[in-house]
Amino acid sequence: MLTALEIKAAKAAVLTSALALTVTFIAGEIYWQHAGRLEKAEQPAGPAAVVAQGRLFFVKSCAHCHGKDADGGEDAPSLRKMTISAAHMTLVIQSGIKGDMPSFAKKYSEADVAKIVAYLQTLK
Amino acid sequence: MTIPWEQLHGAMTHFPIALLLFSAACDFGSVVLKKLAFAGELRKASFYGLAISAVASIGAVVSGIALTKGNMWGRGDLGWHHRFIWPGFGLLVALAVWRLIVRDQMSRTGFYVYLFLMFLTSGLVAAAGYFGGELLIGGG
Repeated sequence: MLTALEIKAAKAAVLTSALALTVTFIAGEIYWQHAGRLEKAEQPAGPAAVVAQGRLFFVKSCAHCHGKDADGGEDAPSLRKMTISAAHMTLVIQSGIKGDMPSFAKKYSEADVAKIVAYLQTLK
Repeated sequence: MTIPWEQLHGAMTHFPIALLLFSAACDFGSVVLKKLAFAGELRKASFYGLAISAVASIGAVVSGIALTKGNMWGRGDLGWHHRFIWPGFGLLVALAVWRLIVRDQMSRTGFYVYLFLMFLTSGLVAAAGYFGGELLIGGG
């Protein structure tokens, strides 16, 4: 059986843990709202906003292999002046290339992939 | 100046993960080797390991929130990372507080419940670490 001290400690532990998680999630929510407002203020409206968003996704997920300006890295080719269609780019991003490039289908929705493709098309 | 949160988060997470696993291993070692003189020392090492891990985890959580800009769940590997890390973080804090109060006055039942929860927390945090690594290496 648990002792009285252990039960008292368990109650304090549960309370502290709940408090820590609550504070963490409130802080996260405040940051999320703040970051959203900043992004809206920084982004131009219209197609340029889509390209800017695509560039953000590219920098976050693709740049470490393809280079931050998409001009290629040690193990991945340059994505500048590509001749493949937007549909083909979408397919490669969503499916990946076996042994060479991971799939991003889980990470990015179709709309997000379209934004990445929109950005890549500006590099032609 | 832009703060490199991705690198900072990576740097700040490994320390608490390693200390948590070390603490669980020391507790387990103190059970397996309970007849040996240093079993008590293992308990002490596990206590300090857990306490420092809990304190260090605050830095890991803060840098993680900054890295994701407050996205507390997300999709794909990020979603899995968060599904494992939030219960793991909650348990880590709870176990550290419990241990801090109880110290050496643990009953046999109390210790085994604690040990089970330590293994569970270690598993959750290790799984979160795996999916966090996948985000960087796998890209998914």
